[in-house]
Amino acid sequence: MTSRPSPASKPLIVARDLSRIYHAGKTRVVGLDHVDLEVGAGEMVVLKGVSGSGKSTLLALLAGLDRPTSGMLHVAGLDLLKASSTALTHFRRRKVGMVFQSFNLLPTLTVLENVCLPGLLAGDSESEVRRRARAWIERMGLGSRMHHLPGELSGGEMQRTAIARALINDPPILLADEPTGNLDSDNGGIVVRLLADLNRSHGRTVVMATHGDLADAFATRIVRLRDGRMV
Amino acid sequence: MKRAFFPKLFFWLHVRHVRRHPGRAVAVVLGVAIGAAVFTSVRLAMRASLDSFSRSMDAVTGAADRVVIRPGDFVPEEWVARLLARDEVASAAPFLSAYVQDEDQRSSPFLLIGIDPFLDASFRTWSRAGDSRAGWDLVTRPFTLLMTEKLARLLDRSVGDEIRLRHPRGTAAFRIAGILDKEGTGALEGGLAAVADIATFQEFTGLSGWVDRIDLKLRHPGSSRDIEALRRLLPRDLVLERPGSGKAAGQGLLRAYAANLSVLSFVSLFVGMFLIYSLVALNAASRRRETAVLLSLGATSRSVFLLFVTEGLFYGLLGWFLALPLGLPLVRWMVEGVGRTVSVLFVRVAPEDLVLSPWELAVSLVGTLVVSALAAVQPAAEAMKVSPKEAMALSAGRERHGDAGRGPVVPALALIASVWGLSRLPPAGGTAYGGYAATFALFVGFSLLSPYVLRRLGRSSAPALKRVFGPAAYLAGRSVARSGTRVAVSVGSLLTAVALFVALTIMVHSFRNTVNAWVHQTVSGDLFASPRLNEMNRHRNIFSSDQVALLKALASRADLVPFRRFYLQYRNLPYQFEVTDFAAWFPHSGYLWVEGDPASARRSLLEGTGCVVSEVFANKIGLSVGERFRDRIAGVELDLPIVGVIRDYRSQGGVVFFSLPRFREMRLAAGLLTQDEEWSGVRFFVREDRADRAGVLNRIKRTLVEKFGDRVSFIEGNELRDRILRIFDETFAITFVLLFIALVVAALGIATTLAVSVLERSVELNTLSALGGSAAQIRSMIGWEAALLVAAGEVLGLLCGLALSVLLVYGINRQSFGWTFIYEVNGATFLWALPLIFGAALAASFPVVRLALRQSPAALLREL
Repeated sequence: MTSRPSPASKPLIVARDLSRIYHAGKTRVVGLDHVDLEVGAGEMVVLKGVSGSGKSTLLALLAGLDRPTSGMLHVAGLDLLKASSTALTHFRRRKVGMVFQSFNLLPTLTVLENVCLPGLLAGDSESEVRRRARAWIERMGLGSRMHHLPGELSGGEMQRTAIARALINDPPILLADEPTGNLDSDNGGIVVRLLADLNRSHGRTVVMATHGDLADAFATRIVRLRDGRMV
Repeated sequence: MKRAFFPKLFFWLHVRHVRRHPGRAVAVVLGVAIGAAVFTSVRLAMRASLDSFSRSMDAVTGAADRVVIRPGDFVPEEWVARLLARDEVASAAPFLSAYVQDEDQRSSPFLLIGIDPFLDASFRTWSRAGDSRAGWDLVTRPFTLLMTEKLARLLDRSVGDEIRLRHPRGTAAFRIAGILDKEGTGALEGGLAAVADIATFQEFTGLSGWVDRIDLKLRHPGSSRDIEALRRLLPRDLVLERPGSGKAAGQGLLRAYAANLSVLSFVSLFVGMFLIYSLVALNAASRRRETAVLLSLGATSRSVFLLFVTEGLFYGLLGWFLALPLGLPLVRWMVEGVGRTVSVLFVRVAPEDLVLSPWELAVSLVGTLVVSALAAVQPAAEAMKVSPKEAMALSAGRERHGDAGRGPVVPALALIASVWGLSRLPPAGGTAYGGYAATFALFVGFSLLSPYVLRRLGRSSAPALKRVFGPAAYLAGRSVARSGTRVAVSVGSLLTAVALFVALTIMVHSFRNTVNAWVHQTVSGDLFASPRLNEMNRHRNIFSSDQVALLKALASRADLVPFRRFYLQYRNLPYQFEVTDFAAWFPHSGYLWVEGDPASARRSLLEGTGCVVSEVFANKIGLSVGERFRDRIAGVELDLPIVGVIRDYRSQGGVVFFSLPRFREMRLAAGLLTQDEEWSGVRFFVREDRADRAGVLNRIKRTLVEKFGDRVSFIEGNELRDRILRIFDETFAITFVLLFIALVVAALGIATTLAVSVLERSVELNTLSALGGSAAQIRSMIGWEAALLVAAGEVLGLLCGLALSVLLVYGINRQSFGWTFIYEVNGATFLWALPLIFGAALAASFPVVRLALRQSPAALLREL
């Protein structure tokens, strides 16, 4: 598969010679090995590979959750290698929305509060954040679950809540790490279609890591990884 | 993030979390509440005593600019008129006071004040409630008095009633002319006082022509020339000084006691700090995943740090609020106990009902919050280091359990080494700041050693435990070896409490044994006699000539040792100058010498060529053997070489001993002797050859009662010594209650830590179960862990406590009170106490063992 964006799209993500190496005691573990990748605005890229292939490592770097060991990485105009921790925090607030395999909803917060959280952390006014949150929750079909705690939701509902949370600050890029990994196939299908719809109807750039096939049909590009390298 | 959102975020993430796990939080809040309650109640009790003392002293001092006194003696009343005639003086008023008692003894002795109602008006606020003619009544009607409402109630008397009062000079009937207003003089001695006209007072006490002091108001208080002029006018034995020097000296004595008690009570709060640390650290560890998610959603590291510090503050605040109702009964008990101790040991106080001083409440709140925030800083700093990438991990975030490592051994040893230097720092304002800093360094130093000790203990004990007690004990050893900082901190809390127990037990034991030796050696004698209420009246009364003659006649039955004591001040230190007949006393008793050659010092005392001073006097004033003691006492100029320093445990300052015959000669030479012998007390020693010792004492007592009635009081030597030791034991009752509370909080700390450790390792423990470990084996493993932790805490606590005991005996006590003791370790107490503490701390962890397998292994392992 190609790692180039479609000619019409403007690259929103540019990675060159990107590596991430971990040290566990005296052992050196290569998480990502000299990866080149460009993703244009409006693309839906699916990262595929077996467990340990480097998908999550790459997503963590794209999300500004981790820093590369070497190479070059620009996402939404920000040089993630050189960015200060304050710039990275701002980047995570405004430029990317993250969806995790294990949902990562805060257990003490209701659906509404979980969705509001990134907006409030970003310093937006509470009334405005609540308005946006309610709208996204309704769109996710969770209007009746607004004031429920995560422990009272099904897996599919939790993941839809997580997607609404990722979208609350209206980020141009949506990153999803195995979003269907903890879901049955029905709920997995719903989540993938939701992400595809966000990509197609709303022009949001989506990068999704998965080892399933559910998203293949919706992908503008499929990138395969093995042992930290692109294949 | 907007600032306004922070409280909401804290509520969402932390308060709701606490509501989900209330058990752990309740234990911590309770521990903090106990610590805060103890700290607050001790501070409030000390404040009540200090306020009572200050109010009394202010009421006595009044609005005087200067006072004229005669150290060790009364001031001739004629000086009132002479001073009033001076241009420099705006007004002058005489003042007299003495403790008296009602004949029916319905009340304890109370203070009777003698004033000139007209001259005194510009000095003190005193008036009859609702009546401005009170002063006129006192002057025109002899033997009338005004008393406080509280006293009238105690005596069951009202206005117009008669009351008979006792004084060493006799008994007289007074009519109650009115009730004093509560303000001013009415606030004296916690409201237990009466006021009479000075002429009445002098007639009653036999002090016609004499006053305690003359209060002065100057026309130009700031004029040093006027003050100098007055000084030149006064004879050498009259001293012009600022008012309130007694207040400053009394406060000085109280301050050292208050500081010691505050530090001791702070230990409970300090131990509570470990509890907060434990819980915040647990939450920070078990909620790593949530922290990572929060960071991945755009929270800053700083806000994560603040969230966890606020959590510590939250527990502190809850604990403090709970401390108020919890501490209320404690405060009442403390006010009474501390007030009694202060009255017996230092200055007479009558703390009234509990006053919730806003300042003390603020100190307690700020103290609790600072301690709570400090306790949360380290776990909060760990939490802010969490990588947002951990949000992508599949299993729930758990604290990485690794080897505890060497731990900060070098800083720990450096802190312990700094103790010697810190303890040598001079005290400031009578408070041993250096000593307290050394104590803190010792606690922190030993606490920092705990990770290393746990690692060594776990590693070295594991193989032996395996051989003797099987695999469960072996696993416990391995677990302790890699238990990490949080567990080490809990061991730190236990070692702090144990160290305090060990140190205070040794100190109190050494102190008591030394006091016991002092009491039997120096406070010797079979019978003590003195004019009635003389101890309360600071030995201002002397036996009359006919009383002295009779006492001398009794000397045929037992050896008689007369003495006279003066209560004075030396460079702001209260001290007693005691002259005694060493020729009569040395055959029966002696001193416990600290410095000087006892044989030559004794010779010098017998000849009246030198004096000995107490260790307190020497340390507080900075004089020692070879230097000179100079003072003017009862009109006599003294310039004496100090020939020895001796142990003395009178708590009201230092003591200087000198020869009575030599002092009498000096008084005689100065033309000051008022009668042939001026004795303020005597002691009798029944001669060794008298087989019927009890019979001899009874005959002396019978004679004293027959001849002097209630004008002379006496007490048998054994009773006096028992009373001193009983007071000693009562004094330390408060100390041991505080200590017990610190131990309870520490045991709570160990139980909380173990609970946390078990909850965190529930998956690991259930894996063991799934692999075939029996419930008994797993519980045994937890039990062994508890035993090893408690053992480590006790061993370190014992070592730290031994070091602290030396610091207390030779450093802090010397700096705070001026005395030291003969160091003695009471091994027998530790033989039962340390196993008891071990058992108690272990028992506190038993409920935790039951937690271990509360959930089914399958459910937990699914979470992996």
